[in-house]
Amino acid sequence: MNRRSFLRGSAGAALPLPFLNMMEASAKETGQDKPPLRFMTLFKPNGVHPPSWHINGGSEFDFRMSPLMQPFAKHKVDLLILDNMGDFGFSSHANSTRRFLSGHHQNTKSASIDQLIADKIAGDTPHRSLELTTEGLFPNQIGCSYISYDAKGQPIPRESDPQLIFDRLFRSPLSHQQKRAEMASLLDRVRDDAKSLTRRAGTEDRDTLDQYLTVVRETEQRLQKMQQRSAATADFSSFKRPERSANLDEQVTSMIDLIALAMWTDSSRCITYMLGNSNSRMIFDFLGVKEQHHYLSHFFRNFSRANLEGLLKISRWHMEKFDYLLTRLKSFKDHNGTLLDHSVVLFGSGMGHSDNHTVTRIPIVLAGHGGEFLKTGRYVRYSENQPLRRLHLSLLQKFGIEVPSYAGSSTPLPGLDASDFTPWKERPLESWVKVEGNQITVQGRLRMSDNLDEAKLFFVDVEGRPPVRVEVAFRDFHHFNIAYHCGTPVTLSGTGQTEGEQLAITKVAELTSLFGKRPGSARG
Amino acid sequence: MHRFVFLLLFGNCLTVVADEPFDESVQPFLKKYCVSCHSNGKKAKGGVDFTMMTAANAAADYEVWESVAAVLEEGQMPPEDEPQPTKAEVEQVLTWYRHTLVNAVGSHPGFFKPRRLCATEYRNTLRSLFGFDLEVAIIEAEQTVAEKSLVMKLLPTDPPGASGFTNDTHSAPLSTLLWDQYSYLADAGLTELLSKKRRSLLEIVTGPISDEGLTADQAVTVARWFVPRALRRPPTRDKLQAIVDTIRDASNPLAALKAELKVVLMSPAFLYRGMLVEQRPGFRAVVDDYELAERLSYFIWADMPDDELFGMASSGQLQKPEVFTAQITRMLDSPKARSLTDDFAVQWLSLDQIAKQSKRVPQAEALKSQPRDFIHYLFAEDRPLLELIDSRTTFANVFTASYYGQDRKQMKRFSKPKGIEVQIVPNQKLTLVHTTSRGGILTMPGILEMNRGPVIRGTWMLERILGDHLPEPPPNVGQVPSSPPGKKLSFRERFEMHRSKPTCAICHDKIDPLGFALQKYNGPDYNANADVDTSGRLPSGETFETFAELKTLLLTTRKRQIVRNIVERTLSYAVCRKLELYDRPTVDIITNRLIETDGTYRQLIHLVVNSPEIRNTAFRD
Repeated sequence: MNRRSFLRGSAGAALPLPFLNMMEASAKETGQDKPPLRFMTLFKPNGVHPPSWHINGGSEFDFRMSPLMQPFAKHKVDLLILDNMGDFGFSSHANSTRRFLSGHHQNTKSASIDQLIADKIAGDTPHRSLELTTEGLFPNQIGCSYISYDAKGQPIPRESDPQLIFDRLFRSPLSHQQKRAEMASLLDRVRDDAKSLTRRAGTEDRDTLDQYLTVVRETEQRLQKMQQRSAATADFSSFKRPERSANLDEQVTSMIDLIALAMWTDSSRCITYMLGNSNSRMIFDFLGVKEQHHYLSHFFRNFSRANLEGLLKISRWHMEKFDYLLTRLKSFKDHNGTLLDHSVVLFGSGMGHSDNHTVTRIPIVLAGHGGEFLKTGRYVRYSENQPLRRLHLSLLQKFGIEVPSYAGSSTPLPGLDASDFTPWKERPLESWVKVEGNQITVQGRLRMSDNLDEAKLFFVDVEGRPPVRVEVAFRDFHHFNIAYHCGTPVTLSGTGQTEGEQLAITKVAELTSLFGKRPGSARG
Repeated sequence: MHRFVFLLLFGNCLTVVADEPFDESVQPFLKKYCVSCHSNGKKAKGGVDFTMMTAANAAADYEVWESVAAVLEEGQMPPEDEPQPTKAEVEQVLTWYRHTLVNAVGSHPGFFKPRRLCATEYRNTLRSLFGFDLEVAIIEAEQTVAEKSLVMKLLPTDPPGASGFTNDTHSAPLSTLLWDQYSYLADAGLTELLSKKRRSLLEIVTGPISDEGLTADQAVTVARWFVPRALRRPPTRDKLQAIVDTIRDASNPLAALKAELKVVLMSPAFLYRGMLVEQRPGFRAVVDDYELAERLSYFIWADMPDDELFGMASSGQLQKPEVFTAQITRMLDSPKARSLTDDFAVQWLSLDQIAKQSKRVPQAEALKSQPRDFIHYLFAEDRPLLELIDSRTTFANVFTASYYGQDRKQMKRFSKPKGIEVQIVPNQKLTLVHTTSRGGILTMPGILEMNRGPVIRGTWMLERILGDHLPEPPPNVGQVPSSPPGKKLSFRERFEMHRSKPTCAICHDKIDPLGFALQKYNGPDYNANADVDTSGRLPSGETFETFAELKTLLLTTRKRQIVRNIVERTLSYAVCRKLELYDRPTVDIITNRLIETDGTYRQLIHLVVNSPEIRNTAFRD
């Protein structure tokens, strides 16, 4: 029995799935003992704030997820966090957006990888792929609005409205049994209406009514054709149509629900979703932030503590949406596992540092096992910068697409399914603390608090003892550029309090970078 | 006068021109002076083929005859290098024309014909009917463009009809594509209307709704509220009773209500205007009150009648002169009358073409919104018609301020909120003191940006402002030559060499003086290009040195032509069809009245809604 047809009569979007075993049994009967593979991407606008995003220190299997990663930390075993991804130098928003799924911004004549993957995996699903977004087009740099490109390299129109997507997926007017019945009875009624008007109409009206009746007749014929053709399609009538969303948060939540539902019903196997244009001008008023996201993302240029807090609120919201997608995918059982087990989710952004537009250390996280081809629960930081096109080539090949090269790269990226990569080598670091009265000097790696509500709270990690807290006034924070040093080893001295093992520096006297790294005079 | 026989008949063409005078005085003239160029169908010069012209189709081709009369009166045709007719010969043709196609024309309201609502009207009607807009979930951040209206997103763009306006849908019939989209939109609207989110709105009609949803009685109340408004007139008692019975008998009243309302929204009576008008074949009649209410509301608002207008129609008071006038004034005062700018004037003056290529949203929006705000002001503050061309008032924002020299100092300083990088900025009203030559629509930066170069500017001014109809330029016109060796010629001089042939000159003599006159206004400072030649000579012989002098000519010797054009466009938009010969008496009366009284935009609207074209109709036998 057709997998899709089996969904007939199931009860609502958030339903527990009593049909699951039956579906599996049916899949086995037809020789489909492997569930289909799926591919999803979730694009985060405006790069990241590196001090809160980067993982520093740690190793492939033993690492601490960064403050910004906390919202999805619970999925650690299902994640493959890649680091040192990107190219050298800087990038415009538009170029970095094209690069996200197309390998290189100059790769303008071929399809982005999601489209190549869709060609391979879509099979007979009704929707070969879906390209989704949240925000209007940005005409001044149109490339900021698209990550998916067709075989000619042309941008693919995006859709943003969950109700429209729901209706397209589950309420296709003529292939939907109940809708067909409704339309048939409506046609009877309006035909009678038009005919009674015709009896009393003048010549001019009669022409118009004839046109009207022709369309009614043609629609009846279309209904009959669909009736014959679609006897086997599924009935989704019990699925609940999403309510009209009151704000961006509801809109994205609804859309992620639909992405999971589309995957589970096998309506589509390939979906790209942009949480905003890559230079998003959106205002997150529902988070209490009144400034535009792009403005805030230039966190040095437009520096203030309030701005940084606003930016981190927005960034955390993005991470929560990634978490929500993974959670939804896990909530649907699929054969012997969950939907996520048979999916690859690519989460990330076009650029690394959102203020100076560097494209080194671009945030890239893969989730799901793609069947077996991703080995998750790892943090893979390459010894050298890895262009995104190498990752793209690897993904294409893992999806079974036999291409020798993509976007100019012919060497796939190692490290996705095994530890066959050269890892980043940390310089050896001695960490210690000295306390004299209220004078504290500490050497170790500086990091932000995991709790981003406290953007002013920092820690210096010292081996073998609790981290030293750094909680200083804005003046010190700004003067010593503490955020800049996050992730790097420092020697930091100042005055503070001691409570047994718990040390806290409240006023900084000196901050030295251990390996001579200083904030440059240039911005950022 | 007995030689000129005409009849008013209910045929395709209301004015029938007798053969004899045409054959005697016009045909020989055409043969002698015109057909050597104007023949051979598609190859005919200017697309005018006089071998096809007969007395029988003279009324249908009245626009051609209008321009024939104009070029003969001004001596523009035949071209200089062709044999010229005598004054008497010309006068004979003109006499025929004036008698037959001007003086003898009888007024007629046009035959009644139902018309499908265009997309804008459909959107507005759904909005008024439901009490909310159907919106697309998309974030319209600053500097981004997004279609927020679900209706406009899903419905195909309407092609302009023969009138040039999209509300003239006579040649854009219903299609299966439209059917599917109407069906989708009706479902979307009804689902939202009956959803929890809109409960408080519905409770105004039904009273408190419990958590179990509508009761059968409440569903009936909703139907009684919805159906007459959707049909824009009371349904027959039987029809409404059938709907009520269906809902009462249904096991699920809510589902039944939804199905019944959808039938209404998909019925011809909703999708078309005028389906329910009482037919009186062969008669000419005053339109009924409900039809009149619709004619007014779709003209002034591009929307269905509101409750007050509907109430005036159902109490039979609408046609009382004082009630009627008060309603028009009220409608013009309503914010919905912005449609006269955003739908009518935008299409009349092709304002949707402004900054179409511009990628910079707030800058483009500044260019687009300036002429719209100005025209809205002309309607809202009831300004004289010709202030369109010359006004001491303008609207500007930070992106257009540089065009207004010292006058921009009147503007309040604009500061954008913290954290917003670039923003669409509202316009402020300016009174021009130092830059009066910049007054009026012709020199607005958006208009100049839309019409780049003198030829396109001149053509636009001729067609949109002066109401002239130009034929397509002939093929293979070639390039404007470069300066001959040793000489340095201006673009204007080189262009004049290029179009000096008589076949080009017939149109370019009209176009070029208008276009070149604007050459100093390209940039913000029109005093900057002192040595640019802006002088010109109109085909009628008047000359001018500067654009200011041309403007004076437009306001005096061309006043009638401009006013007449404004009247024609407005009437054509109001009746949603191309004007015909039989509309000429109305156009003449309104034009004369407006010229006598130095009439205003609101006066224009009042005159149009009192015309036989709006107040009367005729039914074919």
